[in-house]
Amino acid sequence: MLKLSGLYKTFGQGGPNEIVALRGLDLLVKKGELVTIIGSNGSGKSTLMGCVAGSLAVDAGTIVLGSANVTAWPERRRASLISRVFQDPLSGTCASMTVEENLALAHRRGRPRGLRRGILKGEREFFRAALAPIGLGLESRLTDQVGLLSGGQRQALTLVMATMVRPALLLLDEHTAAQDPKTAALTMRLTMELVERDKLTTLMITHNLNQALEYGQRLVMLNQGRVVLDFAAEAKATLTVKSLLDHFLASAERGDSFSDSQLFN
Amino acid sequence: MTSYAFIGAVSQGLVYGLMALGVFLTFRILDFPDLTVDGSLPLGAAVSAMGILAGLNPYVSLIPAVLAGFLAGVVTGVLAARFGILHLLASILTMTALYSINLRVMGNRPNISLIGQPTVFEPLKRLGLSSSLAALVFFLIVLALAWLFLVWLMRTEFGQALQATGDNPKMIASLGVNVRVTVIVGVGLSNALVALAGALVAQNQGLADVSLGVGTIVVGLASAVVGGTIVSGRRSMAVRIAAVALGSVVYRLAVALALQLKIGSFSFNPSDLNLITSILVIGALLVPKLRAKPKPLKSHA
Repeated sequence: MLKLSGLYKTFGQGGPNEIVALRGLDLLVKKGELVTIIGSNGSGKSTLMGCVAGSLAVDAGTIVLGSANVTAWPERRRASLISRVFQDPLSGTCASMTVEENLALAHRRGRPRGLRRGILKGEREFFRAALAPIGLGLESRLTDQVGLLSGGQRQALTLVMATMVRPALLLLDEHTAAQDPKTAALTMRLTMELVERDKLTTLMITHNLNQALEYGQRLVMLNQGRVVLDFAAEAKATLTVKSLLDHFLASAERGDSFSDSQLFN
Repeated sequence: MTSYAFIGAVSQGLVYGLMALGVFLTFRILDFPDLTVDGSLPLGAAVSAMGILAGLNPYVSLIPAVLAGFLAGVVTGVLAARFGILHLLASILTMTALYSINLRVMGNRPNISLIGQPTVFEPLKRLGLSSSLAALVFFLIVLALAWLFLVWLMRTEFGQALQATGDNPKMIASLGVNVRVTVIVGVGLSNALVALAGALVAQNQGLADVSLGVGTIVVGLASAVVGGTIVSGRRSMAVRIAAVALGSVVYRLAVALALQLKIGSFSFNPSDLNLITSILVIGALLVPKLRAKPKPLKSHA
């Protein structure tokens, strides 16, 4: 369970370029739920991800994950609970290191790094078993440098890395946006396999309305730093891209003139 | 080249190879150009020399020298990683401060003579080796140990995190590694190696000098560059580290040859060394850029 209450985040406070990215955002995500998040540029999606992951500190509000209030935790401490996949496939892996070295780094997510061996003997078998199901042949390329892989392969590797130690929360930050449609479809298929296999609690930001409709049990729209639309499973099932677009535009026009989110159950 | 000059050049290459390994650690692994080394090399020399003059065993005198170098690196690391000062500037600040500190360490003298003092080379000399051969053998052993240490370290969890920090800090931070601490320890280790090199250079030449460190970073880079050219292509970390040490030796041999060169009435002075080295590094940095095709200008046709 993820409970976000009254999150505020302002950039450049008091300055001429002050931007209020989050204004009292509330969101309750149930355990095992996949929530897709849409919203126009500047609606606060990426700020929300940063605040939940801990790379950004909130100005006010609380973030509770499971039984832990993680609001004051630094990013590295939250890493024991949270996995994050970025938009840029290059940013989730180390290009100069090998596939197995990258996997080993992810295998130790949230744990202190000491002077034990970076890759243990039994680990390679585990890595091969984790890579084989994705069907890209990466299991036979453990000692290849990641820089030699294609963008799609790197994003697939990043997904495996994000889920190999089961996270309490998976954050997908427009993780298919930089890919061509075919690769994006492949990445989404893999994402759903992994999410469903481990019943992962997931937040997925996307600009692709089709994707937002197709995947997940719930769809949330942000505007001006707040949740303005919230479709639960049944309501979501009746949505079409067109009706969603109408909601999208209508709510963008209304701006922040309404404070409570509209719930569609 | 006389065999005496040859042995001397190889010895220099080996002892400065330790320094080059330190520069490799920051510049190549951590992607942290660190000029602290210009100050930590004479720092190691000064601390070891003062230790020996105070009656410390020459081997034991290496310990405070290495620790002092580590601390100097930690200062730079903290300035850069904790307080966000640009890494180059942070290291220049430490280097500048070290100039005064090194003079203080040496009792406000610009240099200290170690002539007639015991050195780490004594046991080898007692085995019957000439002093130049004793230095060569000792440096070879120390460099081999440093290589083993680095190869081992790079395979540990910490070493892997260190490499990832230089490659993709955002990614490794999201995996729960404290990037600041990793950078600080990494820069510290680098300068510990450099200070060890300084201490051994001082004991070998019988002199600790405050100006010993001028151009250290450039020579370190030159060694890394030469080493990288010798073993080009995709190589394991163990080979890459060995190549840097080898690069240091090749660099010293090339310098020794250049100094003997006579073209008509022209010949190089030892004082031309910094110019030659800088040109070598500039060349090595430019070659990949010149090889790449220039980008075509955008047209609106």
